[in-house]
Amino acid sequence: MKWIGALFVVITCLFAGLEYARKLEQRPKIIRLWKNSLLILEAEMVYSHAAVHEACDNIAQQMKGPLAHFFQTISRRLQMEPLELYEIWDEEVEKLWTRIALNKEDKEIIKQFGRTLGQHDIIQQKKYIQLTIAHLENKHQEAIEMNQRYGKVSGSLGLLFGLFIALLLL
Amino acid sequence: MEVIYSLLPEHIAWEIRQFIKTEHFHPQEIRLRIDRPIELNKGRQVQWLSHLRISQKDAKYILNRISDHSIYRLEEELRQGYITIKGGHRIGISGSVIVENSAVKAIKHISSFNIRISNDVSGISKPFLPLLYDHHYLSTLIIGPPQSGKTTLLRDIARYVSSGLHKIPAQKTAVVDERSEICASLNGIPQSESGLRIDVLDQCPKSEGMMMLVRSMSPEVIIVDEIGNEKDVQAILEVINAGVSIMCSVHGRSYEEVLRRPALAPLFTLNLFNRILVLSNSNQVGEVIQILDSEGNNITKQSEYTV
Repeated sequence: MKWIGALFVVITCLFAGLEYARKLEQRPKIIRLWKNSLLILEAEMVYSHAAVHEACDNIAQQMKGPLAHFFQTISRRLQMEPLELYEIWDEEVEKLWTRIALNKEDKEIIKQFGRTLGQHDIIQQKKYIQLTIAHLENKHQEAIEMNQRYGKVSGSLGLLFGLFIALLLL
Repeated sequence: MEVIYSLLPEHIAWEIRQFIKTEHFHPQEIRLRIDRPIELNKGRQVQWLSHLRISQKDAKYILNRISDHSIYRLEEELRQGYITIKGGHRIGISGSVIVENSAVKAIKHISSFNIRISNDVSGISKPFLPLLYDHHYLSTLIIGPPQSGKTTLLRDIARYVSSGLHKIPAQKTAVVDERSEICASLNGIPQSESGLRIDVLDQCPKSEGMMMLVRSMSPEVIIVDEIGNEKDVQAILEVINAGVSIMCSVHGRSYEEVLRRPALAPLFTLNLFNRILVLSNSNQVGEVIQILDSEGNNITKQSEYTV
C-alpha cells in the first residue's frame, strides 16, 4: 500500500514539474503571437482605418487557437451587445487567461491596452499600440530567459521533489 | 429609427421610443446636450423629455457607438462637425474645438449632439419634374432657408431623374455629395433608395467633383447641394457650358435675396438657370412657393404647390 502511495506522489510531482516546464515553454510563443496580433491591429487601424470589430475579425482570420477565438468573440460581441469596448475586452481577457500560459503581469498589460483601444485619434492610438508592444517585448525576453533557466530542470526537479516527499513519508 | 436607438444608451432610447409612441410625434431632430434635457423637434414644434439628463458618460457612450468603438475613424468627420450613419441620418456635434496651424483639427469634449433624422420622402418632386423638362432637363436652382426641405427635394429629384418618370426617360445622373446628404452614402454606397442611373461621388468637394464627373462619367444631369462660393460658381459655368444640366440648391429666403449675393452673381447675369424653385418653411416644410424661369418670371399661375 505504502509503495503505491509513494509512487502516486512521485508521478504527481513529476507531472507538475513537466506541466510547469510546458508553461515556461509556451509563454514566449504566446507573447509573440500577441505581438503579431497587435501589429496586425496597428496596420488595420492606421492604414486601412478599419473599425475595431473589423480589425479583430481580420486578426482572427490570420491567427489560430485560443487567440483567434478571443478576437473572433470580441468582434462578434462588439457588434451584438450594447456594452463598452473595454467591458467586453476585460471579460474576454479573463476568460482567455484561464486557457493560456501567461501570468498576471501579462494580463495587466493587455487589459490596460483594452482601455485605450478605439478611444484616441490615429497618432495616439499608434503610440499606445507601440507602447504595448514594447512592454510585451520585455516580457518576451523575460519569458525566454525563464524558459532557458528553468525549462529543462523543472521536469527533473519535479521528479526529485516527489521522491523526496515519498522518502519522508515512507 | 431603430438605427438611431441602437446608438443611444438603453434607458434614453427607451424613453424616446415611448415618447414617440405615446405622443405620435415624429421628430426631425433629436438634440442631446450634456446636463440638459433631451429636445425633440419637428421644425418649429419643440418637445422636451425634461426628466432625462445626458451625462458625460452617455455622451462618450454615444460617440463610441457612432464610431463602432473606433474613434480614430472619425477624425475627418469630427473636423467637419457631423457624421453620417447608416440609413442616411446625420449627427451634428459640437464641443471644444482643437485648432492646429489655424485649421480645425478635431472636436474634443463633445457637449451636444444633433441627430437629424433623414427624411426620405418619395414622390414630392413628381408635380414639378415636367416643368423642369423640355427635351432635356433644364438647369434648376432650388432656393430655400435652412430646414425647408431643399435636400429632401433634391434627393427626390435625383431619384426620379435617374429612374425616369412617365414619359420622361431616365437620364444619366451624377451626384456630387460633399456631405453625404443626398444619397447618404456609407462606405461609398448610396443608402437611400436612389434611381438606377445614378453615380455618386461621395464626400468630394463640389467644385472638383463636378469637373471630375464631366470628364469621367458623361452625365446628362449633375446634382449638387448647397453651392455658395466662387469656386462652385466657376465649376457650374464649366458644367453648363459643357452641355450638362445642373440641379443645385442654395441657402436663401427669396429669389431677390439670392440675386444680391456677390459670389452667385455670374450665374444670374448669364441667365444660366432656366428654372428656379423657391421653397419656404413658413407654413409647412417643403412648400414650393414660386417657380421662376431664367428671367425671374413666374411660369405657373398656380402659385402654390405643397410638397
